[in-house]
Amino acid sequence: MIDNNFDRRDFLKVLGWGGAAVALSGCGNTSVEDGKETVVSYVEVAEYVAPGISVYFNSTCAQCDAGCSISGRVREGRVLKLEGNPDSVINRGKMCGLGQAGVQHHYNPDRVREPLLRSGDKGEAITWDKAYTLIAEKLNGVSGDQIDFLTGSISGHTKALLGNYLESLSSKNHFVYEAVSPAVQRAANMKSYGMEMPRFSINKAKVVLSFGADFLGAWVSPVHFSQQYAEFRKGVDGKRGVLVQVESKMTLTGANADRWLAVRPGTEGILAMGIINALGVAGLSMPSNVQEAAKPYDKERVSKDTGVTTESIVKLAAILKERTPSLVLLGSAAEGYAHGSQNAAAINLLNQVLGNVGKTLEASAAVPFPQIAPTMGNTAALRMVNNRLADGQTKVLFTYATNPVFTSPAELKFKENMAKANFRVAFAHYLDETALQADLVLPLDSALEDWGTLVAEYQPEGVQISVQQPLMEKLHPETRGMGDILLALIKQRQPDAYKSFDDYYAYLRTAMLKNKSEFANSGMDDDVFWNGVLSSGIINVGGNLNKLNSKPDSSIKLPAPAEQDAKYPFTLIPSVTANLRDGRHANQPWLQESPDPLTTIVWDSWVEIHPKKAAELGIVEGDIIAVESKNGAINAQAYLFPGIHPDAVSIPLGRGHEAMGRYAKGYGVNPFQILDRVFDEETGELAMHETKVKLSKVGKRVIVVKDEGFAGGAQHGKKIAMTKSSDQVDLSEEV
Amino acid sequence: MHRFIRFSILLMGLFAASSSYSADAALEPLTTADDLGPAIEQPIEFPHNRHAGLRNPNDPSNSDPLKGGMEINCMYCHTYARRGSVAGIPPLQKCIGCHQNIESVRETPRIKKLFEYWEAKKPVPWKKVHDLPDFVRFNHERHIKRFVFQQNRPVQEVCGACHGDVKTMTVARRQKSLAMGWCVSCHEKDHVVAAAGGMPVGSQAYWYSFKKPALNGAGVAVAKGPNDCSSCHY
Amino acid sequence: MSVSNLLENWAEFRHTHPVNDVPHDPYKWAMSIDLDACTGCNACSVACYAENNIPVVGRDKFQHGQVMHWMRIERYWPEDGRDFPDQGATFLPMMCQQCEAAPCETVCPVGATNHTADGLNSQAYNRCVGSRYCSANCPFKVRYFNWYDYPTTENVWPAEMTQQLNPDITLRSKGVMEKCTFCVQRIRAGERAVKNEGRILRDGEVQTACQQVCPSGAITFGNLVDPESKVHQKWKAQRVELNADEQEKDKEEGGTDLRGYRILEELRPYPSVMYMERVRESAI
Repeated sequence: MIDNNFDRRDFLKVLGWGGAAVALSGCGNTSVEDGKETVVSYVEVAEYVAPGISVYFNSTCAQCDAGCSISGRVREGRVLKLEGNPDSVINRGKMCGLGQAGVQHHYNPDRVREPLLRSGDKGEAITWDKAYTLIAEKLNGVSGDQIDFLTGSISGHTKALLGNYLESLSSKNHFVYEAVSPAVQRAANMKSYGMEMPRFSINKAKVVLSFGADFLGAWVSPVHFSQQYAEFRKGVDGKRGVLVQVESKMTLTGANADRWLAVRPGTEGILAMGIINALGVAGLSMPSNVQEAAKPYDKERVSKDTGVTTESIVKLAAILKERTPSLVLLGSAAEGYAHGSQNAAAINLLNQVLGNVGKTLEASAAVPFPQIAPTMGNTAALRMVNNRLADGQTKVLFTYATNPVFTSPAELKFKENMAKANFRVAFAHYLDETALQADLVLPLDSALEDWGTLVAEYQPEGVQISVQQPLMEKLHPETRGMGDILLALIKQRQPDAYKSFDDYYAYLRTAMLKNKSEFANSGMDDDVFWNGVLSSGIINVGGNLNKLNSKPDSSIKLPAPAEQDAKYPFTLIPSVTANLRDGRHANQPWLQESPDPLTTIVWDSWVEIHPKKAAELGIVEGDIIAVESKNGAINAQAYLFPGIHPDAVSIPLGRGHEAMGRYAKGYGVNPFQILDRVFDEETGELAMHETKVKLSKVGKRVIVVKDEGFAGGAQHGKKIAMTKSSDQVDLSEEV
Repeated sequence: MHRFIRFSILLMGLFAASSSYSADAALEPLTTADDLGPAIEQPIEFPHNRHAGLRNPNDPSNSDPLKGGMEINCMYCHTYARRGSVAGIPPLQKCIGCHQNIESVRETPRIKKLFEYWEAKKPVPWKKVHDLPDFVRFNHERHIKRFVFQQNRPVQEVCGACHGDVKTMTVARRQKSLAMGWCVSCHEKDHVVAAAGGMPVGSQAYWYSFKKPALNGAGVAVAKGPNDCSSCHY
Repeated sequence: MSVSNLLENWAEFRHTHPVNDVPHDPYKWAMSIDLDACTGCNACSVACYAENNIPVVGRDKFQHGQVMHWMRIERYWPEDGRDFPDQGATFLPMMCQQCEAAPCETVCPVGATNHTADGLNSQAYNRCVGSRYCSANCPFKVRYFNWYDYPTTENVWPAEMTQQLNPDITLRSKGVMEKCTFCVQRIRAGERAVKNEGRILRDGEVQTACQQVCPSGAITFGNLVDPESKVHQKWKAQRVELNADEQEKDKEEGGTDLRGYRILEELRPYPSVMYMERVRESAI
């Protein structure tokens, strides 16, 4: 019999042996199912549609305003994945992660599915007819100057229709607002070059000096510039391009730079003048007034002001003088500060001094149809709307493609002011913070199920009109395309207008056919032309080049570097990441789970502090820090980040939603809220890097959720991610 | 004491294991008894025998001695078989395409039901009879291309090898086990790779598989089917 | 199953190394990644999620190390002790290296992971029993385990999001190991399509999802044994050989001015991915 020494351990051993032996026998049964699943065949279908075979349709990505053309893989009537359209000159077959997440926007479970009317705190589902009737009712007796339309950047035929609707309302109050926009750059470019957005050729430059322009991440047209960047690295004449990035907080482009120069926040303009001075010292010829203007910026003074070493300034001037053409790009140096326009003028002056205008900075083409040309947003528009709401001048407010309750600084009190309007309509995809404040929410089709056209602001070659066509049937029967909604609203006011158009598609087709001669051979058959447009997804119009009018402005007045505020000693840099931007895509889980390239943090916000500064303050990674400005405080986990100026801290924009959906709500904090109301002196744009904050430990510490790997981003002497110096490498033999 | 028990349990386990091995004969294809799968009821009892069955009523192999079949090629309806991975159920318009012109059966109960679906523009919810698990990817096109187009075998023989003699059935009923071992047993046969013997079209590369074609004793090029896990499981 | 089958034919399913006795014919899939072109944008990682039905695990599971991203971008700072990383960071796209002598293949207790004749490390999800020995053995740590049943977990694929799933690839359930497959579903589909024309795949006809989306074109994927393919030419130009555990060029005096290398080559897994070193300008 079994004696008492047979304990648990022995029992498990016996079990294990027996079990292992039996497991070897394998199994003979299959998992073939009989009659459990249903096969749903088609009823009536086009010949090229076969189950199991994908068909590709071209359309346009709407995740940002770069206007990349996409090719959607469609199988069994649903779109599965997006690829780049190789025929587009903007993205040439490539895409970015944000664009890939377009399918998650389309299939998002938190999309609004039917018109919602406010009833207390809730939204009651109503029919479209009722919604349109209600709008007509509320507009009755309201004069045009009391009706405001606040939208994001807009272009294409939707813009044309919107203009017509506003006309029918006798309203001129169309405000175009973007929380993150290169508005100061546009104004500065206009002054310096005669156009807002010239064409940049990074691939033709031998040196690119970027003052905070994150062209690989979120600046203007990142997919296009990334491709130019790849060519740039292969080199002009076999000599690899050199990238120098000047900024206070490292962006993605800064992480790819050959030299990243950390500058004291706000002193980028001083550095630019210092480089002009050094170029003069190095013997580059320049107009005498420019040389005069640069005289006070000798390298010692500049080094003291900016924190960049004199050695770096001299080296930079040397390489800029020697390797030409170069290209100087303008980015956060302009958008960040009250003297941003002056910074921009100095930086553009550097371009002109180096002779890059006409070589790597060229004229862009004018859009031949002003009605569909892009109207780009800026932050000054928000102030105007806010003032009007606060004064009670706005009775009816429409919002479209914008979320000002989330993106406006709390100090503006936009939410309270919005409540003062009598009637608020939001055209929205999600119940985001702004839609929650509206009286009527009208649900929109996603970009993948709607018709439209889009003209991007940045046009690399001629003018490309990107066409949007549905990649599948509408997911939710009660959403509508913005074009269709506008048509219905216009017909309310002017029943005869557009009566020959049943829907937006008919309008679009007719509008394009009307201009067929501009796009193609005028003798081409209508249907052939239209089918050609749809199948390629783009229309290339030559367009006349704008006139490049380069005016070097030597009357630059740069302020001395700001004194540190004793109470609020740090500069807050709210960072714009490629995947989150201004937060409109926070409810797409791939983007939340995609690690931030610089910090590898996911699903949460963080405060970047330089390790030396953190050591001084006794802050370690994971400490919850209260970041407090004059206008409020937000708490975020500390992350020690070497790529930031010690006088600055950085929190990413885009998280901290209180609504919008299950993947956005409750994750992270929103730095937009605590921004100080400092504006660029010339353009009135919100100066994004002028918020001064103080830090204090809250007393809690968390584990930072990041993707640094087991070694914490260190290689420990192993040859994992290797770097070679350019003088040790021969790129000419490469394929 | 318990050492003895451990040892005997081990022995019993090994015995059980090895006996289950010997129960299955090595590498012979599973015999395919008829009616392996259950009879599945479909929304419309589609008569394959009427459509694909033999025409001559005096032919003993004809299923219905009263009426002949129309000998319609399997791929007329299951047209996707030669184009992609799934053979597919034809769209409703294929049925209606013929039946809208066949007055003689227009009022029969099954056809009436068919037209009900058509009027409502609703697809018929067929139940899937040959349903492989989701982790298997079977590709019809390659099998059709090989056996029908390249080796010129009759279509009903090729389709019937896996789906059984459908022309004797009304609705389809699974006739073979469709287990992996059953598929592999065919893949391990030496198949002739060229219709008329000799090296295959398009060079050896075309017949890429783990086992390359080789000439057998009689000078005919034979090869085995793919036996790479990732050919079907990915 | 029979005893003889177990003893005799098992070895045929594993590709032994070195390959010279059984050369790859007609395909050997390999990649070349240029770290100088890689900007770290993570587009490849998101595209991989879209193509391969990878579940989003959420913050808590991410914290516990139960991540699922088959392609991850690693960020390395230069370890030179300076105050600022003034030469930027190096971004390294890391995914299954499809090793020729994969440490994971030898240790699977049920033989779920094998080497295909076209040079991929295959993973049969239905065979996997979840011992996780393979991921323990992987030196690159590119194998990811389904700790939960993600298809039935709340908010992973809610409501309409299931329609986005790619039907060409298995949806993995709990207890199964998964990893980058070089988009084997695209490779198989491409191979089948060209068989209709009686030929093999040409360079560029099959693109992995990551390669197709990469805005700077840092990823080159193709058939290493096809002399016309870019990846073959790159490996050749960089003098990196598949079957070597130490490259000839590294044994030369004074090193070379070539950039190609493979990671953890000294452990002898013979990876099929070649990386090209990032370059930083010396003049500035």
